[in-house]
Amino acid sequence: MAIIERPESGTPVPALAGGPAVVGPAQTLGAFRRPVTTTGWKSWLFTVDHKKLGIMYGVSAMFFFVVGGLEAVLIRLQLAQPNGKVLSADVYNQMFTMHATTMVFLFIMPMAAAFANYMVPLQIGARDVAFPRINAFGFWAYFFGAIFINTSWFLGGAADGGWFMYAPNSSTLFSPSHGIDFWVLGLQITGIASLSGSVNLIVTVLNMRAPGMSLLKVPIFTWLVLVTQFLLLFAMPVITVALFLLNFQRGFGATFFDTSAGADPLLWQHLFWIFGHPEVYIIILPSFGLVSEVLPVFSRKPLFGYPLVVFSGVAIGFVGWGVWAHHMFASGLGPVSVAVFSIATMMIAIPTGVKIINWCMTMWGGKLWYTTSMMFAIALVVEFTIGGVSGVTHAAASSDTQQTDTYYIVAHFHYVLFGGAVLGLFAGFYYWWPKVFGRMLDEKLGKWNFWLMIIGLNLTFGPMHILGLQGQPRRMYRYDPDRMGEGFFNLTFWNQVATLGSIILSVGVLFFIINVWVTAKRPADAPLDPWDARSLEWLTASPPKEHNFDTIPQVHALDEFFHRKYAENEHGELVKVATAEELLAAEEAAGSGHVDLPAPSYWPILLAFGLPVAAYGVIYNHIGIAVGGVIILLAMFGWSLEPSYAEPTDYDPPTDGGSTKELATLG
Amino acid sequence: MRTLPTVSNRIERVSRRVLPALGLMLLAGCAKNAPQDFLHPEGDPAKTINTVNKIIFPLAGIVAVLVFIGVAVILWKFKDRGQPMPHQGHGKSTIEIGSIVVSASLLVVVAVPTFSTIFDLAETDDCNMVINVTGQQWWWEFAYPVQDGIDKPIVTSGDIVIPEGECVMLRITSRDVIHSFWVPKLNGKKDAVPNRVHTLRFQADQPGVYLGQCAEFCGLSHANMKMNAIALTRADFATWVANQTAEKPMASEGQAGFEGQGVYSSYCTACHQVDGLKDPSGNPVVAQADTTLVAGAAPNLTHLMSRITFAGGTYWLQTEKCRDDLFNASPEEFGALYLKGVDESCLNRIELEEWLRNAPAKKAMYPTLNEDGLGRGMPYLALSEDQIDSLVEYLLTLQ
Repeated sequence: MAIIERPESGTPVPALAGGPAVVGPAQTLGAFRRPVTTTGWKSWLFTVDHKKLGIMYGVSAMFFFVVGGLEAVLIRLQLAQPNGKVLSADVYNQMFTMHATTMVFLFIMPMAAAFANYMVPLQIGARDVAFPRINAFGFWAYFFGAIFINTSWFLGGAADGGWFMYAPNSSTLFSPSHGIDFWVLGLQITGIASLSGSVNLIVTVLNMRAPGMSLLKVPIFTWLVLVTQFLLLFAMPVITVALFLLNFQRGFGATFFDTSAGADPLLWQHLFWIFGHPEVYIIILPSFGLVSEVLPVFSRKPLFGYPLVVFSGVAIGFVGWGVWAHHMFASGLGPVSVAVFSIATMMIAIPTGVKIINWCMTMWGGKLWYTTSMMFAIALVVEFTIGGVSGVTHAAASSDTQQTDTYYIVAHFHYVLFGGAVLGLFAGFYYWWPKVFGRMLDEKLGKWNFWLMIIGLNLTFGPMHILGLQGQPRRMYRYDPDRMGEGFFNLTFWNQVATLGSIILSVGVLFFIINVWVTAKRPADAPLDPWDARSLEWLTASPPKEHNFDTIPQVHALDEFFHRKYAENEHGELVKVATAEELLAAEEAAGSGHVDLPAPSYWPILLAFGLPVAAYGVIYNHIGIAVGGVIILLAMFGWSLEPSYAEPTDYDPPTDGGSTKELATLG
Repeated sequence: MRTLPTVSNRIERVSRRVLPALGLMLLAGCAKNAPQDFLHPEGDPAKTINTVNKIIFPLAGIVAVLVFIGVAVILWKFKDRGQPMPHQGHGKSTIEIGSIVVSASLLVVVAVPTFSTIFDLAETDDCNMVINVTGQQWWWEFAYPVQDGIDKPIVTSGDIVIPEGECVMLRITSRDVIHSFWVPKLNGKKDAVPNRVHTLRFQADQPGVYLGQCAEFCGLSHANMKMNAIALTRADFATWVANQTAEKPMASEGQAGFEGQGVYSSYCTACHQVDGLKDPSGNPVVAQADTTLVAGAAPNLTHLMSRITFAGGTYWLQTEKCRDDLFNASPEEFGALYLKGVDESCLNRIELEEWLRNAPAKKAMYPTLNEDGLGRGMPYLALSEDQIDSLVEYLLTLQ
């Protein structure tokens, strides 16, 4: 090929068993050498391995979790007294805008993508995702987009219009700094990441399942990830259009939301919430999937009503499109629309409520093992219930005109997003850590992590119910002591409790980071099957080999792995018939030793890098758009000419006649 | 392994302590007399909403508590105590269908009253008064068009004055970004959207002050955009209207406020209207806020001292003592006290002077002119202390 690379010449590479002893590099034509290493920093930059990319998503998302958390603590410190002086009005507005943007787009969504990337191929018995290079591109687009948005802090201030960025307050007339431009373009870039990722995972789940795995034998996490990807696929284009309109208005003088030119500002609200409400389910469904994996494992029972959980997930995916205007009950829609959306919103509570019942019934009659992972999963059931029932109270539209834009709403969606989505992610960390890193997270530190987070969560967001019901609106950099009521338990007191809670919550998260640090220092000695798990990802080594499975497993049942370990004896009792080690040994013995894996590539990261370059160009100098465009075109050109599998001659040592597993590992 | 009685004793012991504590926390947990507490409504529309609240909040609470109890029972009952591996059952369709039916029927209980109140609250045909409400960064304007009982238009800000016990129809819009009109004790929110006019039923059942504030994020000083609904008896309301529509003569030489009137004419009239003010050649002075401000309007100050706040509701116009007297007045006494207005003894002179000295330091604003020469909010005027003193004397005449 014309534009491919070979390894650096000079140092001969020791060959693997079976190959020639030492091989010198052979020259091929080409402007670039193709990256082929699987160790060292380069292997991370150019990898297309879904597992490495999953870890990279996870690390980046965790970083932005800390960033968003610090923003939240600053907000709470400002509100610890009526006329807080920690932040100015302007910085406060930037802070809550970026807190929401960071947590939604740069933490929860990519953290869910981390789990999906890592686990979905393993759960369905595949060797990678359908389009590994697009997968790599998706990660880098997210990464560069996230950095891009946050550079606005150092370039004249971040976006200050709230994450919902209502027009016309988002126009240059009312927000003249570049903050909103960064926000718009950054979200376009991360949106490209989400879209490419969704197509990739949909194709992967639909086409690459192991033989025998019919759709109703797909593990529940993968199922709900699939529903999430469909939501992304249809929701992201809506926000993309909205962002383009805003971008053209701010940058090029278009008048889509210019009220002096006759625009109706409600256009933006409809566009935003048609995206924004499915987005809520995009955030929560992967975590629902996570706990639906964790609860059965630690209850030693199958998920209760698996088909019902699947179908209620799909139902949420559909009905989720018909409820967006419940964010707009006070915005002046007519009573008929309000009534329709009010009823639709109540309807979506049904499949959600069904899930709570299913989780409780999964534990009913089980043999409950309270690991940290299980505790996080149980906490999700409890805390999400609080967010769920307060959500039903907003569905009553007439009552919602009092609740909307108060702290009661803040309480609600933090119980849903933190109490739901984030606790689910933490359940996933503790559950899959030994799978991913071959090390068990410390259970004792885990309990500290858990209890501090739960206490902090309830102290932070619990009092916000009271604040909202007693009339404190959101998004205010200061509040008026005259409006805080009387008595010891006045609203200033509850604001201070919330601030205290946010600090406890932060310490809880700090314990997780300490736990990760402590665990990383320990030897990788996790048992192969520490939790007596049920699904296919445990049917391989921990951490998994680069090609995941030596043999693609033949699937016979939901919870395939569990059914290989256990069988019923003649009395109908469950007895263990095989250990995980035995099963793995059998798989390894049956392996052909001949696996084709896609090779690393320069192009995904280069293509993604062109995006922020062009975006800076849009803001500062239109020549930058051309530079970014050239980078993007060059990368597309190189990408299209590069085969996904490296030629035998690309490897060092070169192979003759097709790559083998070992060579693929080397390359 | 613990024996059953011990455990239940423990549960009993714990619940004997915890449950009353929880109940107390719920009762005592709320602030007393929070002025924006919508669970204690004081106007008919807000009371209509509260009929839904009274169903939905307890129901939500009961469902949540039932789930908590269910989870607690499960966690205790099925803890791993070395029991054999459980039966690998995949579900029970009766429970699955049952859970759908139960949650659906609970929602019907909520849906019916919700549905009817949505349409009841949208009704404005029975209202016998109209007030135009306009939001802009960061204050509210209230304009009373000519109608029964009002024979000259009234333009005011900060205080929206209404007759008690009558439905008033508000026609709400905005001059710049989206705001939301919210006086929690009287009704839910309604957004003020530029290019759109939204109507809202508005009613207070007793004379008094009802605090409210902008509820939709509207930029820098969103937190400072407040208003007060003032309900008066019909007779007091007529008195208020008469005062607002009366011709006010200018201060003449030797009268209180004459010097300040000069300061006002040189520094303030570009934005702020005071009806009755004339230039030396006898022509009425008309504020041209559209040439100086993005929103194109600044508060009309003709009767500033008949109100209780200034600077878009950010600051009280009265001292704390006078304010307490007004806020704690009985419904019978309230009207007279409010109609007295703010006199020298009650004036919150310190903050008013600070405001005149440097407005942007007292309220976050963007007074700096943009490329079209328009600002948002009151600029720093570089007034001398003498000018400020005389200006305050003049403002005190605007009763």
